[in-house]
Amino acid sequence: MNSRAVTPAPSRRSLVLSFLVPAAFVLAYFAARAGIEEVEPGSAIALALALFPVPFFALLIYAYVRAVRGMDELGRRMQLEALAFAFPIAVLVVFTVGLLDLAGFHGTHDWDLPRLWPLMLLPYWAGLALAQRRYA
Amino acid sequence: MKNRLRLLRAERDWSQAELAERLGVSRQTVNAIETGKYDPSLPLAFALARLFEQRIEELFQPDDTPVVRNP
Repeated sequence: MNSRAVTPAPSRRSLVLSFLVPAAFVLAYFAARAGIEEVEPGSAIALALALFPVPFFALLIYAYVRAVRGMDELGRRMQLEALAFAFPIAVLVVFTVGLLDLAGFHGTHDWDLPRLWPLMLLPYWAGLALAQRRYA
Repeated sequence: MKNRLRLLRAERDWSQAELAERLGVSRQTVNAIETGKYDPSLPLAFALARLFEQRIEELFQPDDTPVVRNP
């Protein structure tokens, strides 16, 4: 059985992973978007720019998993409840946008997936707020 | 699940934060256990029992105690 005696203080490494990694991803994403709009669609440089944020997002996943592993059991439970709330909503958004696209409603670029995905963070935050309230 | 955590903590004059530090969990976790909003895992329940020098069943009781029928 594993029971730690003292909750460790956040290390410099964990602070970097909590703040710098998400910031780096956001910067990489918007840099890629800005770059893609300037180059020829379908070109090699457009492909490279589209894939540019992927390693940053992989680092973000690593940082998130590490942060969750550093939480106590209630913290992990709340993360699970937030993700259980957010994931089906994200799936719903993706397939609904896909079906709307198939149905011919693809004229509005305001609601396409590249613009929509940041909104998928909202259900996660809502789920986390609900979990916080439940166990407060 | 009902528990005697708040009582035992008060007897030792520990704050929730102090108990949390001794257990290696957050203060929110201690509060959630005390108020019955969260049932701890078995390892955490054993850690609590060890800390308060009690048996687990002396610390935690089910909400609805089963009725014992006469044979």
